[in-house]
Amino acid sequence: MAQPTPSATPEQSDLRVNFFRPRAGFMRREVSVIWLTLLAWALVSVGFPLSLGITADDPAASLSTGRWIFGMPWHYWFSGHFLIVWFIFICAMFNILIDWLTKSYRKRR
Amino acid sequence: MAITSIKILPVCVLLAALALSLVAGLSSRRYLRGGYGIEGRPMGHSGIGAAIASNWMSAASFLGIAGIFFVKGYFAFAYVLGWTGGYVLLLVLMGGQLRRFGKYTAPDFVEARFESSGARICSAAITILISLIYCVAQYKGIGLVFSWILGVDYTGALIFGTVVVISYLVIAGALGAKKNQQFHYLLVILSFVIPLMFVAKKLGYSWLVPQFSYGAALRDLPPETAQQYLFPWTFGTPYQWIALSVTLMVGTAGLPHVLSRFYTVSNNRDARWGVVWGLFFIGLLYWSAPAFAAFAKAWQARTGVELDPDAARAVADLIIVKASEWIGIPDFLVAVLAVGAILAAFSTITGLLVTGAGAFAYDIYFRLINPRASERQLVKVAKGVTLLMAILILLIAVNPPGLIAEITAVAFALAGNTLFPVFLLGIWWDRTNKHGVIAGMTVGIIVTFIPVLFGHLLPEIVRTLLPATSSALIGAPLVLLVIILVSLVTPPPSESVRRFLVENVHSP
Repeated sequence: MAQPTPSATPEQSDLRVNFFRPRAGFMRREVSVIWLTLLAWALVSVGFPLSLGITADDPAASLSTGRWIFGMPWHYWFSGHFLIVWFIFICAMFNILIDWLTKSYRKRR
Repeated sequence: MAITSIKILPVCVLLAALALSLVAGLSSRRYLRGGYGIEGRPMGHSGIGAAIASNWMSAASFLGIAGIFFVKGYFAFAYVLGWTGGYVLLLVLMGGQLRRFGKYTAPDFVEARFESSGARICSAAITILISLIYCVAQYKGIGLVFSWILGVDYTGALIFGTVVVISYLVIAGALGAKKNQQFHYLLVILSFVIPLMFVAKKLGYSWLVPQFSYGAALRDLPPETAQQYLFPWTFGTPYQWIALSVTLMVGTAGLPHVLSRFYTVSNNRDARWGVVWGLFFIGLLYWSAPAFAAFAKAWQARTGVELDPDAARAVADLIIVKASEWIGIPDFLVAVLAVGAILAAFSTITGLLVTGAGAFAYDIYFRLINPRASERQLVKVAKGVTLLMAILILLIAVNPPGLIAEITAVAFALAGNTLFPVFLLGIWWDRTNKHGVIAGMTVGIIVTFIPVLFGHLLPEIVRTLLPATSSALIGAPLVLLVIILVSLVTPPPSESVRRFLVENVHSP
């Protein structure tokens, strides 16, 4: 952990780390990718149960008139199969984007 | 402890599996020279993923998930969602940054980042508490399975199981056997999926991919059971579902033994891609567990066996073994299933006991009680604490306070209310200081344990908003707020730490 030198440039003396106000450059782009991934995560983690809470108010109706996939009510299939696939997918996308970002910034350095 | 009807086959399978694990551990020890395996055998991304999954799969995943499905139907997906979605949070918010920070345990990170022995001791105490609670759930699983194998009562089986765990730990330690994570994962997942395929076949459903064919079993449920089992909100409200899943997610991202997996690989990129594979391997178990519960329900519907809610809860944590017995798959496969559960619990218990004892010896004993202790003395203290923890957990597990998945959820709530906010702000806000995190961890402990210990005294509205298993939906943001406010009114951390964050942790 190096001590700052008197001749430090303004960029070197800027020690700000803030998720909501990221520094320009790598951190800002990395945070953009994180926001995008978190959005995809929140969509299913919070958005799906909320939408289910609004729509599924009558058990008999939702099971008899709802759509079935692989023999399951669609919400059951969505939670049982799709959610994990979705999480794997967004983690893979995150990694691809971060790999690309890291590579491009390392080249510049 | 009167042994009434010991099952010889599971005993033989268990001995064989433990011997195999020791041999695999001995053969891999020559590769694992570094303390955290960093200098170990080079692994591909799928190998790292298998190691992550092996580290993750405990009695809660093996026995608890199917059990909670058997009792609560669709609502149990909150557990699956929480225990998989948490890896997304861990990967995107902390994984890479923690790897770049370069500290191997939660207390190490806390001391280096916040320059405070007090904060380190606080995080070590939390690590020990998490280990204790998590282990209670594992002990329950061991007690139930040994009770089934030996034909003895639960308490007797629990004592026997504890003796076996400690003996295994001592033998493995004496031989210097390391845990071969990939081999362990393979053993555990096969011992779950193969019996499941036979269960599907025996009931007349497609056996090749039972993770899909259990849909047909759900269709065969009588209308009244189907409505209860499949309707989302029979056993809880949307708020409870979201609170539980969010608690498990932030808890996953804050669990010390999960975080430490990021250091056991050689570089950041491998660690990140390992998570993707790890999620897939964990997914194999979570795609399968609901199928066991569905087949058990379908068998009940066919045979007309009805369990009242209390009886269903009593049998739930052993439902995968019981259902396999009821349905009549070969005895050998039932034995394999039971031994798989023991292996999953064993591995988690030994890991957590070592983590908890290490945290006490190095972070509390050395820092607070005897700063002049030699390495040899610390190892002795760690061994003594391991035994003490094992006995303490045994005493709590004699009267388990809930289902395996529910007890485990409290450990996740504690991690989510304490370590998750500390790691998150420690990485993403340079202004976070030691005063803030000590205050935050204290509030986190209070928020976690008030609903657990004094839930019955709380007003209805507080009980609804802050369930014991799901307190982090409100607790984690509250702790974040406390850390921010206290940090803002106290001096900032040193410039060297802030510079390290900018130049090392947040640089490509």
